[in-house]
Amino acid sequence: MMAMARTLSRLRQDRSGLAGLSIVALFFLVSIAVWAGWLGQDWSAADGARWEGPGPAHWFGTNVLGQDIFERAVYSVRTAFEIGLVVALLSTVLGAALGAVAGWRGNTWIDGAITWLKGVLDAIPFYLFVAAVAFALRGAPWAMHLAMVATFWTTTARLVRAEVLKIRSLDYVRSARAIGLPGAVILARHVLPNTTHILLVQGTIAFVAAIKTEVVLSFLGLGVQDGVSWGLMLAESTQEVLAGHFGNFIAASGMLFLLLLGLNLLADAMQDALDPKQAAL
Amino acid sequence: MKNPVLSVRDLSVFIGDQAVVDRVSFDLYAGEVLALVGESGCGKTKTAEAIMGLLAGDAKNRRTGSIRLGEQELMSMSEAEMRRIRGREISMVFQEPMTALDPVFSNGEQLAQQFRRHRGQSRRQARDSAAEMLTHVGIQDPERIMRSYPHQLSGGLRQRLIVAMAMACRPQVLIADEPTTALDVTTQAQVLGQMTKLGREIGTAILLITHDLGVVAQYGDRALIMRRGKLLENQPVKDLFAKPENPYTGSLIAAARELST
Repeated sequence: MMAMARTLSRLRQDRSGLAGLSIVALFFLVSIAVWAGWLGQDWSAADGARWEGPGPAHWFGTNVLGQDIFERAVYSVRTAFEIGLVVALLSTVLGAALGAVAGWRGNTWIDGAITWLKGVLDAIPFYLFVAAVAFALRGAPWAMHLAMVATFWTTTARLVRAEVLKIRSLDYVRSARAIGLPGAVILARHVLPNTTHILLVQGTIAFVAAIKTEVVLSFLGLGVQDGVSWGLMLAESTQEVLAGHFGNFIAASGMLFLLLLGLNLLADAMQDALDPKQAAL
Repeated sequence: MKNPVLSVRDLSVFIGDQAVVDRVSFDLYAGEVLALVGESGCGKTKTAEAIMGLLAGDAKNRRTGSIRLGEQELMSMSEAEMRRIRGREISMVFQEPMTALDPVFSNGEQLAQQFRRHRGQSRRQARDSAAEMLTHVGIQDPERIMRSYPHQLSGGLRQRLIVAMAMACRPQVLIADEPTTALDVTTQAQVLGQMTKLGREIGTAILLITHDLGVVAQYGDRALIMRRGKLLENQPVKDLFAKPENPYTGSLIAAARELST
């Protein structure tokens, strides 16, 4: 589509945005490779001595069990992407749907109910809520995902609701009514597509937030149950750093830092590129 | 005289306790341009919305009287029945061309949607019908216009496109709510000229809502003067300027003359 091409060309001229895109793309390729079984498959094999230093065999050394830290950090990329994608996708879809309904039926009881629900969820301190859900559903591998989706959708819904309230009073929506289109068709074809800029940016933000939250929860022991993640590695490192073994800490926080930096640069660039107010006509 | 296509009797619209449209009656005949004139807030647009069944909010269920389209009584129709009428038998053009088109679809897609939805045409047929319709509203290169997006068009072109969409199904009645107020004078004349010409060609009756007496004089066949929800005058345009029946009409005409000299 035209608008899409314009957005892409504007993104192409943004250097820090391109840098962000490259970093994210690289991480994404790594996660695909891990998922396909080409990389990081030996993350649980204990093939070294305890706490070996960095060297050609183990780039970031080994952990307490003699597992290769680099291998574990690489495998964690897949964990991060899986959580990020699932949470970003579900919370955006849920937020868009509920926000659109609330905006379309603005100032009715449906709108009231959805807005009330958002208020209730937002009133609970975020980490407390996520931790409580994760704790209540302990053992269920998707507990953490559920908890994040349940809280992340509210921001998207709020923004989409406001946008839909605005769009529904525009003349093209009135025109669509005046030429006999049913409400559901107008909402799906002419209102929601005009909120995609919000959905894209919110989706990226949710993706970043999900990865960060995963690390925090795993660190607290409420996150990833089987497998490995940067959060679990950081939890391990708390004991090791005091003893002078920095492998886990540097590998996990370094990769987390790099990925988040890339995502933030990309989200920033996307926000600029999608902003219709900066559209050169 | 032949039968009117649209016949409004004692139409009132209430907001709260106040009648913003107060017992309005008029007839609209095929192929004519009936101008509905009045100052801002006099109830012109509410009259139009009441006919379309598009009143919003408080005014929604607060209309009384009778609106007959041919043999059908619109007042007693359900929303689903009204949807079948809208766009096919009565259409409407709004004031602001800048927001009247959906920015995410190409112009061609939006226009073709009319032909596909209301006439059940295939994608290809709809494209051809759309291109043909655009030439009828005076667009020289329909292919280029249909490929482009709304933000790439000038106000005049957009409004023509909107008129083309509204006329796509050859409705019996077109309600144009200040269709050219947002356009400059030259463009205004072109758009109104094309619209009224097209109306006569396909026999669509046009209810032209305006506050511009110059527009009325040039394009109207008959004129209704409205003030504070009431109709003051219902005359052929040439009589309106020659011998206005109501003093308010006289003062409106005098004011317009003063401005133009």
